[in-house]
Amino acid sequence: MRIVIDLLIVISIFFAFAGVVGMLRMPDAFCRMQSSTNIATLGVLGVIIGGVLYAAIYLHDGGMAVKLVFMGIFYIITNPIAGHAICRGGYKHGVRPEKKYEVDKYGEDMVEE
Amino acid sequence: MKKASSSAVLSTAIVCYLFWLVITGQIVSIFRGAPSAQVLIAGLVVSFLVALFSARFFIHEKPFYLLTKLPAYLTYCFVIFPIELWKANVDVAMRALSPQLPVNPGIVKIPSNMKSEYGQAMLANSITLTPGTITMDITEEEGQTYYYIHWIDVASSDPVEAGEAIKGTLESWTGRIWE
Repeated sequence: MRIVIDLLIVISIFFAFAGVVGMLRMPDAFCRMQSSTNIATLGVLGVIIGGVLYAAIYLHDGGMAVKLVFMGIFYIITNPIAGHAICRGGYKHGVRPEKKYEVDKYGEDMVEE
Repeated sequence: MKKASSSAVLSTAIVCYLFWLVITGQIVSIFRGAPSAQVLIAGLVVSFLVALFSARFFIHEKPFYLLTKLPAYLTYCFVIFPIELWKANVDVAMRALSPQLPVNPGIVKIPSNMKSEYGQAMLANSITLTPGTITMDITEEEGQTYYYIHWIDVASSDPVEAGEAIKGTLESWTGRIWE
């Protein structure tokens, strides 16, 4: 069981690493947002699931495990809303990628309005 | 804004009360057989007060609808969505780590068949939570709902094809839950 917990945490560290590398390398703000969701999903969920198992099996602390589960649930609920709001707010405020997108339906429709 | 029905208040209160039990640690005490009556009653009063004020923000449609679709909902949450999440995560991680940085970002507009308000929100959030795609806006034109999606690797600018690539299984399952 200890191996499973360690594996979960190692996987989530790998995805967090990939997310950070992506954030540094991606060409514009919106692509960086995309890469950050990589950290936000598996990067966090792996640690939380590993933590739940560890708290329940090795620490015998049910309260802590339940709180961790709730952290995960609230994380999943709030994260996409924040990501959506940042992206949309940025675009409406005038943040544009340096190299123009080949397909940009949102910008086109905004000009028409 | 319309007034909240009594069943909406009830369901909000139940959710609040469960949350209260969890964060005060009482849920563990109940299983061990030694809950504190004072905490339980205080939580009941507070959660009903909170529900009276917040139910109209929390519940917009049928309050207990999700319970009738529980099997499909649980399958979606614990089987279908994690698989999609894993696939998309590996894909974006590989893109970020590969030396050529193979990205072709763009914003596409895809149609959605979801009618219910909760269904639309659930599908949009599922899309945002999957790495590689972020929902930027939802509009309604001539009765048809459209999502604007920022996509890291635009394979097709055609609305229907792009929609199929982005929300394929996600939409069929959210549709199964909400329709």
